[in-house]
Amino acid sequence: MTIKSRKKNKSNLWYGVIPLYLFTLTFVCGPLIYMLVLSFLSRAEVWGVEKVFTLSNYIKIFEPVYFNTFIESLKLALLTTAITLLVGYPFGYFMAKLSSRGKKVMMLLVIVPFWTNALIRMYGWIIIFRSNGLLDKLLMGLGLTDKPLKLLYSFPAVLVGMVYALLPFMILAIYSVSEKLDWSLVEAARDLGATRLQAFLTITIKLTLPGILSGVVLVFIPSMGLFFIADILGGGKFMLVGNLIRDQVITTRNWPFASALSVLLMILTSLIIWIYRRVTHVKDLEGLV
Amino acid sequence: MKYSRLVCLAAAVLLMAALTACSKGEKQELNLYTWAEYVPNDVIAEFEEKTGIKVNYTSFETNEEMLAKLENTKGGDYDLVIASDYIIKIAIDEGLVSELDKTKIANFSNIDPIYQGFFYDSDNKYTVPYAPGIPLIVYNPDQVNIDITGYESLWDPSLEDSVGIMDTERVITGITLKTLGHSFNTEDLSAIEAAGEKLLKLAPNIRVLSQDQTQDYLISGEISVAFLFTSQVALALQANPNFKVVYPKEGLGFGVDALFIPSNAPNRDNAHKFLDFILDGEIGARISSQIYYLCPNKAAYQYLPEDFQKSLVISAEDIPQGEFIQDVNAEATELHNKIYTAFKAALD
Repeated sequence: MTIKSRKKNKSNLWYGVIPLYLFTLTFVCGPLIYMLVLSFLSRAEVWGVEKVFTLSNYIKIFEPVYFNTFIESLKLALLTTAITLLVGYPFGYFMAKLSSRGKKVMMLLVIVPFWTNALIRMYGWIIIFRSNGLLDKLLMGLGLTDKPLKLLYSFPAVLVGMVYALLPFMILAIYSVSEKLDWSLVEAARDLGATRLQAFLTITIKLTLPGILSGVVLVFIPSMGLFFIADILGGGKFMLVGNLIRDQVITTRNWPFASALSVLLMILTSLIIWIYRRVTHVKDLEGLV
Repeated sequence: MKYSRLVCLAAAVLLMAALTACSKGEKQELNLYTWAEYVPNDVIAEFEEKTGIKVNYTSFETNEEMLAKLENTKGGDYDLVIASDYIIKIAIDEGLVSELDKTKIANFSNIDPIYQGFFYDSDNKYTVPYAPGIPLIVYNPDQVNIDITGYESLWDPSLEDSVGIMDTERVITGITLKTLGHSFNTEDLSAIEAAGEKLLKLAPNIRVLSQDQTQDYLISGEISVAFLFTSQVALALQANPNFKVVYPKEGLGFGVDALFIPSNAPNRDNAHKFLDFILDGEIGARISSQIYYLCPNKAAYQYLPEDFQKSLVISAEDIPQGEFIQDVNAEATELHNKIYTAFKAALD
């Protein structure tokens, strides 16, 4: 009886997800296929696309001018990921050690910024960084500098913006594994004579590795594409893949080339996810996440 | 049971479709399509009050987005569009624009003829000029030690890391071509290539590239020289009358944003009514003094506030010197993008 009714429920649930499948097919797979097809066509002289097959869009990506944007984006994404990991790991780790009340408060503080639009938060950084802005006034007030620095519209400003925007993802990923961490294993290692550092390196790091990896994926992938931060805090001076794709669509009107760039970007990010899967699977730690 | 649920779902979908269908048509409407906040609210409100026609204001970010949408709807859905000269030319060539019925626009003669007869509409059959403009250099004399006379001055080594320019590919590559004595619209690839080389040398002077509110950087002192759109020039001068304006000696750029009616506009009559309404002298003055572009309406000049008379009415001699940025062939377009991408990569 119970088994039978559960079966029935299951089949009803299946109907419930039909709209979701339809939605995904139409609005996710559809555009992707369209983009893939577009990337093999040619641009029309004035406006639109001509249905002539070509591989030139993909060949063009490897011209140094365009390929450099991938390298720049990769550089920024890697740096962003490294810094968020350095800052986010201790944060998430110690957050998991707080009392349950403390955890709730911290969780709230980590999530609160999401209540404001990311774009608006970036404008907040402009107020801090700009000439004679808050940071300049503070540094001059402390006597560390004697004239306004040109902090805004520089690579460090963009990096700060990226780290700020993506740090919560790292913190939450680390926190979720640290919270489930079996501390008795660390204690056991200490009992068996490991130093604090040894125990941390051999036990804690390894057990929290899935969290580290999912944090890395959650930070790295968006940072390849977040071009509005580079635009706002970099003063439009940074050409990342995202900016290039946008320019190809709206100013150069070379949609096939824009599609080819997007396809390559997606292949790169999928590769990261594939590596993540491989690594976590090999270590056989997937169950912990 | 399962079956009836599906039927319910289908019925709900059909009902929704029917409801949206009902809400269309019947009412007197005007679908206006342009950049956000480009037509002052009080002007729209007065039009609605006077005619009883409801204005649906839809906005786009870029000219290209507008044209893509117009192409998808085959020139339908929208009754009136305000967009830039070069894209209007493409839209007319693609057959997406309909001819104006001038008998329905009594105020058509109010248009100042110096703003008519341009390349995109040489016989004035399709468009009404809305916002003409000339990008100019503005600088803060307190922060600059050299005499700025034209685009070439932007390359001066003394301006290191203190210039702000608009992030508009063809304008920036265009002024570089001008400094080398070429037209904005040259299709000579070696000339564009040479401009690319020269543009790279501008990189050390650039503090910021920006599309919107570039004048704010000048006002706050973040930059000391700016190359700005007309509306931004007017706003900068309003904030600080000591700023100096330069009409670049190499030659002016010129652009017009104009109104047109798409080929399959659903409410053509209402679109004509709106055109007639905004070409009225008093209304025209209210528009120009709020959007800070040149005033193309000669009946409006007398209504412009005094401080605008100076900044918004440009003498007729300046216009013929201005050159439009027009569409160039695909090869040249690609090259423009390539040198601009290289320029941006050299900035950081």
